[in-house]
Amino acid sequence: MMADLKPPRFAQKVLLSFLREEISEEVQGDLEELFFSNLEKSTPARARLNYWYQVLNYLRPFAIKKFKSTFSNYLTMYKHDIKIGWRNLTKQKMYSAIKIGGLGMGIAACFLIALYLKEELSYDQSYPDASRIYRIVGRATTDGVIEKWVSFPAPMAKAMLKDFPEIEISARLMPNSLFPGAGSNEIRPSDNKENTYEEGFTYADGELLNMLQLPIIYGDKRNALSEPNTMVISKSKANKYFPGQNPVGKIMFLNNDKSRPWKISAVIQDPPSTSHLQYNFYLTLSGIEWWQGEQSSWDADNYVDYILLRPGTDVALFKKKLTTDIGYNYYLPTMLKGGDKNAEKELATFSLHLQPVGDIHLKSYDIKDGLTHGDIRFVLMFAAIACFILVIACINFINLSTAKSANRAREIGLKKVAGASRNVLITQFLTESLLFSFFSFILGILLAWILLPYFNLVSARSLVIPWSAWWLAPGLLVSAVIIGLAAGLYPSIYLSSFMPIQVLKGELSRGSKNSILRNGLVIFQFTASIILIISTVVIYDQMHFILNKKLGYNKEQVILVQGANTLNKEVKNFKNELLKNPHVINVSVSDYLPVTGTKRNGNTFWEESKRNSESGVTGQFWRVDNDYIKTLGMKIIQGRDFNSSMPSDSQAVIINQTLANKLNLKDPVGKRIFNGGTYEVIGVVEDFNFESLRDNINGLCMQLGNSSSIISVKVNSADMQKTIAYITSVWKTFSPNQTIRYTFLDESYARMYADVKRLVSIITGFAILAIIIACLGLLGLSSFIAEQRTKEIGIRKVMGARIGTITGLMSKDFVMLVGIAFAIASPVAYWAMNKWLQDFAFHINIGWWVFALGGFVAVSIALITVSFQSIKAALMDPVKSLRKE
Amino acid sequence: MMETHLGNFEEVILLITGILGEEAYAFKIADEVEIQTGRTTSIGAVHSTLNRLENKGFLTSQFGKPTVERGGRRKRIYTITAYGRRILAASRDFKLSLWKQYPDIIIDSLIYGRLSIKGI
Repeated sequence: MMADLKPPRFAQKVLLSFLREEISEEVQGDLEELFFSNLEKSTPARARLNYWYQVLNYLRPFAIKKFKSTFSNYLTMYKHDIKIGWRNLTKQKMYSAIKIGGLGMGIAACFLIALYLKEELSYDQSYPDASRIYRIVGRATTDGVIEKWVSFPAPMAKAMLKDFPEIEISARLMPNSLFPGAGSNEIRPSDNKENTYEEGFTYADGELLNMLQLPIIYGDKRNALSEPNTMVISKSKANKYFPGQNPVGKIMFLNNDKSRPWKISAVIQDPPSTSHLQYNFYLTLSGIEWWQGEQSSWDADNYVDYILLRPGTDVALFKKKLTTDIGYNYYLPTMLKGGDKNAEKELATFSLHLQPVGDIHLKSYDIKDGLTHGDIRFVLMFAAIACFILVIACINFINLSTAKSANRAREIGLKKVAGASRNVLITQFLTESLLFSFFSFILGILLAWILLPYFNLVSARSLVIPWSAWWLAPGLLVSAVIIGLAAGLYPSIYLSSFMPIQVLKGELSRGSKNSILRNGLVIFQFTASIILIISTVVIYDQMHFILNKKLGYNKEQVILVQGANTLNKEVKNFKNELLKNPHVINVSVSDYLPVTGTKRNGNTFWEESKRNSESGVTGQFWRVDNDYIKTLGMKIIQGRDFNSSMPSDSQAVIINQTLANKLNLKDPVGKRIFNGGTYEVIGVVEDFNFESLRDNINGLCMQLGNSSSIISVKVNSADMQKTIAYITSVWKTFSPNQTIRYTFLDESYARMYADVKRLVSIITGFAILAIIIACLGLLGLSSFIAEQRTKEIGIRKVMGARIGTITGLMSKDFVMLVGIAFAIASPVAYWAMNKWLQDFAFHINIGWWVFALGGFVAVSIALITVSFQSIKAALMDPVKSLRKE
Repeated sequence: MMETHLGNFEEVILLITGILGEEAYAFKIADEVEIQTGRTTSIGAVHSTLNRLENKGFLTSQFGKPTVERGGRRKRIYTITAYGRRILAASRDFKLSLWKQYPDIIIDSLIYGRLSIKGI
């Protein structure tokens, strides 16, 4: 047993790693003898420990190998490498600038995209119980189309809590601005007469705040929102209305409605930008009943439900139980009672799902929830683009490094002759590329810092560079090293492989494989550039089309005065007062306007005689006034407009062409249609685009009615300022405590397409980046070719070739490469852009000139880039290039 | 004043090397130092001192026979040189001459530790 006890092997290794060879035998012997004598005296563990102690005690100057001389040599070599690297960098300033600039730009782009992605991925991750909080998502298939939604009946949240012990808390959110109070309001503290317009109102259960554990600054967390007519406001709003005070217990009025005072019960922290709940005012749902029996009715879906599951719940199983329970115990009886004979069949495709709260921002692109959110597909696409840009930038870097190899050939040859091994040379070139990489990173971060405000503008974010984060500096340093090594590996292997004799004789072997790679890369980069150029042009063209299309109404010179509901009955007098000004042509009061963001609803219409035999037609049912059609410049093509002198018009409607067609009304005027009540059609208005141009025009039915938040004022004035001043002064006399809020119809219209405008900026940015990177690639290739053909050009010049001829000769090949890129890019761009345009029901057709333009731009840019090199090559003195032979 | 080039630990090692004779190699010397002084030491420390003494010319060394408990490795046997013996004798004589000059009363009190003298 004693025999297999040996001194710790690792300790022996450590000993040998530093011990001088001359004394290693005796020392090992001594230590082993001690070890065995210790074994007899004490335990093996102690003996081993003592062995380690003895080993470490040999770390004495006399016993240690002489490392010092070799180490200092290495240091000198690194110093030498850095010095040579620096000299090379400064010797060819243009090339160094291009290399560093190209890589720096790639790094800047990547860095910005990384910041963007980090923000996108951090949405709703910070709630303490985020992993157990879910939003309920409904899903059903109607006529083969999958539909997902998040609005549910009022009693569902309580029903779920009652039926399932797995649920710890359930809560409802009701941000739908169809219900007064939600969305935006004119608001004032009870002791202040001045109204202020605010957005970000929502109704919610108090449980929601508990579930998300939103940080509370003032007030009681438990009882916030538990009493009727209480509200919770955010810190910034509290500071705005009650500076320096604790606002808990204060009263606020919405839209001057003194019959419904709202008491502040708590103040919460402002929502972080990375929350999907961007609300500053939470109004309680407690005590709310929108109509008789609404809170117990399973007929209307208006509430978003959130639940907190108990730890360890099997979500997949729970989901199934939930679907069955809600579907068959609640929905089915309601549907059967409503006379729906297909209820069972419809319910078969219905299911409920649990969406983790952290997924709401990125994974809701196919869910209709009225929120603006990100898209996981874009996140992945951007991540791919970032990697792609970086790889391309690195490849260009490699290309430019190897292209100028001839300059280094003699240096390498001499070093090898002097005894440098390949490893030494590889180390040298890697050091050099690390040097470049560090400069590129400095430049890249600087660029990112400068471009961040523009990037924020385009991406509609407020990103900041986290300078003080602990991971930033080490992360960047490690990335710089990785990029430096990755970009430097191939050049260093390539350059260090030169044969000294050939190199010193002036022969440089050049593989043809390389040029295939180079050509391929240039084609690829130009393909990407041309696709992006064409996309930019197409999207720009579509934007132009959108802004100038004939819409069926006149959006020019219409001022929209908002928040007019506080005028109440005075609105008629206000209207008459405005009309006294000669520049005011028409005034109309209606919340339903042909731009998104104004009031909408969903209704079903029947021709009265067929209401029991046919299924209805969906459409909007708008409440307008007598002057609506005149003010907005729509065209009546059959029948007549509303007339204030005809009292029977209160039961009359005007429909649009689409609704007439859908209802199969050959001669609509005089026909009667049914929607809860019966109405007589007195006119047909020409179809106009009241929704985004993405959608086809839907059915529309207009009736005289009261909806008084927005007043549209059609003016005809060269001096807009003066007219607005007039409207403002009239407003002041009618509503002295509320600042006038107005916008223009054409601006509201343009806002509907802000995303398209943003897309134009993004694509333009990417196109510029792609073009610059492609140019760098082309520059690398052209300088490589120019170097290769130095002698050929020399001979041609001696034979009498002119500069123009040689320049043409050099450029021809590159134009061909761009031509190939164009041939690949055009169909791809056509396909992609056509797909994008399909999103719009009204869109342009892509003309051939778009492609011509893209090709022309690409070829011009390529020629300009190449001409740097080709002209330089053509101007070279043939004596110099031929002398080497 | 004579310079011995011999530190206290060096002197102990040198003496023990002489005592051990044929068996004077690093492990045994370290073992003996522990036995004689009661202080623990490491082989490395002893080896380092031996190396220094050899450089100074007080010791010389050659390889001894390999043994089984050393895994068949040879040991380095240190032998005291004539110069080394002379330096030990000089060190001893120097100290003795100093002791001879010492007053008797104080010798007693030093030995029995009853008297304290300023500066010691």
